[in-house]
Amino acid sequence: MRILVVDDSAIMRKVIIRELSNLNFDDDDIVEAADGNEALQIAKEKTFSLILMDWNMPNLSGIEALFEIRSAGITTPIMMVTTEAERGQIITAIQAGANNYMVKPFTPEDLKEKLLQILGTLPPPKKEQRVDMSEGKIIQE
Amino acid sequence: MSQTNVKSDLDASLVNPLIKATMTVMEKMTNTQVQMKQIFAQEEYLPSGDLSGVIGILGEQGEGTVALSFPLPLANIVVARFLGTKPEHLSSEDRCDGIGELVNMVSGQAKAALSNESGCLYKLTLPTVIQGAGHQVTSQAKGAPFLVLEFESEGHIFHLQLSFKRY
Repeated sequence: MRILVVDDSAIMRKVIIRELSNLNFDDDDIVEAADGNEALQIAKEKTFSLILMDWNMPNLSGIEALFEIRSAGITTPIMMVTTEAERGQIITAIQAGANNYMVKPFTPEDLKEKLLQILGTLPPPKKEQRVDMSEGKIIQE
Repeated sequence: MSQTNVKSDLDASLVNPLIKATMTVMEKMTNTQVQMKQIFAQEEYLPSGDLSGVIGILGEQGEGTVALSFPLPLANIVVARFLGTKPEHLSSEDRCDGIGELVNMVSGQAKAALSNESGCLYKLTLPTVIQGAGHQVTSQAKGAPFLVLEFESEGHIFHLQLSFKRY
C-alpha cells in the first residue's frame, strides 16, 4: 500500500512516517511532499492507496491541492491531517472531495483508526529475518 | 493565579480552550505532562524562554498573535519526544520545526474556539520560530495586551502568550 504524506513541516512528516512504519507500512512505499504543488505533481505521476494532506502549506495549500487533484480526475482516497478544527472547514474539505479528516494533535491510535476506516485493512506484521550463519541462509520467521 | 490590572480584549471563554489546547497538544504529541501555574495579562510581550513559535490569527472580527515560548532544555525534551528520538540527536532545524508545529496545533485550537464563539472564520499564518534569550515578539494586534498563560513541565516553566484585538 503506497502512501503520499504531504506536510510542509519536515518533523510532522517524520512523525507520520514513523507511525505508518509502526503500523507495518513499508518505508519504500511512503512518498513525501512538502507542499500542495509537489503533492499535485506526484499524485499525477504515481498511484497511491492514500494521500495524507496537511491544509496550511506555502505555495499551494492542502485544500487547493485537493481541488486540483480531484479536478484532474484522480480518485485516490485523501485524508486531511490538519489543525483546521472548525466544522465549516471539515465540511469544505469533504465537499471538495476529501474522504476523511483528522485534526492535529492526534495519537497513534487515532491514526490507526482513521487508516482502518479508509483502507479497510493494514499491512500484515513484517516477518523478522535472521541469518543462519552455519549455512548463510536468510530465514523468515 | 495572579492577574494584573491590564484590561485584555480576551474574555474568559478563550482561556479554557487555550489551556486545554496546550495540555492536549503536549500530552498527545510529546507524551509530556503539563501543569497550569498562573494566568496574567500585561501591556507588552513577556520575554520568555530561548525560542518561541509564533503564529498570526486573522479574521473579519479581529486579529492577533500567539507565541509559545520554551527554555532550550524543555524545547529539546518535547521536540525529541515528538520526533521519537533523543535530545542529543536533534538538529537546530528539527528543534525549530518542532516548536513551529506545536504552536501551529495550539493556535488551531484557539482559532476554532474564536470561530465557534463569533461564528466568523479565522485564518492562521504559517508559523515562524524566533531564537535567542530575551527575544521579543510584536503582536499583529498593535496596542493589544498579552494574555500570558504560564505552565510547568519536566521542571521547566514555559509560556503561551496571546494578544488579540477585536475590530
